[in-house]
Amino acid sequence: MRFVDEFRDAELGRILASEIVATVEPGRHYKVMEVCGGHTHTIYKYGVDDLLPENVELVHGPGCPVCVIPMGRVDDGIAIAARDEVILTCFGDMMRIPGGSGCFLEAKAAGADIRMVYSPLDALRIARENPDREIVFYAVGFETTAPSTALTLKRAKGDGIANFTVFSNHVTIVPPLRALLESPDLRLDGFIGPGHVSTVVGARPFEFIPADYGKPIVVSGFEPLDLLQSVHMVLKQLAEGRCEVENQYRRVVPYDGNPAALSVLAEVFELRPHFEWRGLGFISHSGLKLSRDYADFDAEVRFDVPGVRVADPKACQCGEVLKGVIKPWECKVFGTACTPERPIGTCMVSSEGACAAYYNYGRFAREREVV
Amino acid sequence: MSSPRSLDGAEPECEPGHCVTCADEAIEMLVLATDGSGLASCVDPEGVPVEVMTELVGEVVPGDAVLVHAGAAIARAA
Repeated sequence: MRFVDEFRDAELGRILASEIVATVEPGRHYKVMEVCGGHTHTIYKYGVDDLLPENVELVHGPGCPVCVIPMGRVDDGIAIAARDEVILTCFGDMMRIPGGSGCFLEAKAAGADIRMVYSPLDALRIARENPDREIVFYAVGFETTAPSTALTLKRAKGDGIANFTVFSNHVTIVPPLRALLESPDLRLDGFIGPGHVSTVVGARPFEFIPADYGKPIVVSGFEPLDLLQSVHMVLKQLAEGRCEVENQYRRVVPYDGNPAALSVLAEVFELRPHFEWRGLGFISHSGLKLSRDYADFDAEVRFDVPGVRVADPKACQCGEVLKGVIKPWECKVFGTACTPERPIGTCMVSSEGACAAYYNYGRFAREREVV
Repeated sequence: MSSPRSLDGAEPECEPGHCVTCADEAIEMLVLATDGSGLASCVDPEGVPVEVMTELVGEVVPGDAVLVHAGAAIARAA
């Protein structure tokens, strides 16, 4: 892959780190939220946070679409999969997300036909190969993923595939960010914006963050130097008293996004009045359902689902983690009752989840610090 | 809850640190061939062949690099 070596260059990293040190005010504490779970992983995989001064704190945001799926929606998927005629398809990370009555993997072990796919197109292929079965794609993801679901639905409609439906859990990035910014227990100085969501929606939708809340945001790439540069750009804005949307990931992200992707999203989906996010509660206009033109392909229309809201487990503090109020290791059950092998909360299940990132990359380092 | 992994050890799972579902991760892939209907045969960085929908990035030709997420090219790689 091109640019990988350049964007992992240790010497350039040290230079950027020294520029960051020169930019911060001693005595001031900075909290910068990286919205995207992919950024969280880069930070811990490459030790980006170890290069930052002690007074620059990275806070992990809600940008993992699997982590925010509420338990009731998992139960809905299991109820659909329990039907004899149904093959439920989903991405791999959904398999272990706990619902109120188990996870997909347990339902599969109990006899449900649940299959992992790498793209919705794989699910459509399964539908073509199994005309006597009902194939349901359990869709999860932000605006990065939703276009793939939308393109697949257009193909299904165009080809008249009648045994294919989508159970949409697609969500949008701006409403939860606004909800976070409205949260009284959150103190943030700026944001690292999601890179690949922005290839679709552009950087422009984030203009409300500086305009309405007075915080800088820098849309960032995913390599370690991308993140170091983005942190530096946020801190530089703060040092210079500026507050705007900047695009560090210009090599991929157009400021106005991908018009073809936005067009297909508008055709296939419409906003739900509200959607529940695990740990964050109901957020207005934050979820996507299939539009009227695609109602025939909507699994929620074709199948009865329980649609029951299930409260999050009491011991789990995923909500506080998703809001960046606490660090994963500050959760009472982190690494003890809740591990990737036996997760209680979704943040520990998904590879993108902040708790899994800490568990896989940060826990032992932290133990060394304590010693 | 019992350990999910004990239920079906053969179930393919995401690699650590990489999530198929991911909100926000796209993989750069090389276009090998196109079929004229918006589908392209691509390879990922490990050389694994992948069928990719290319409607969102306009016409592609063999040799182009695209960023692919969940089976759709969402941008051209720089």
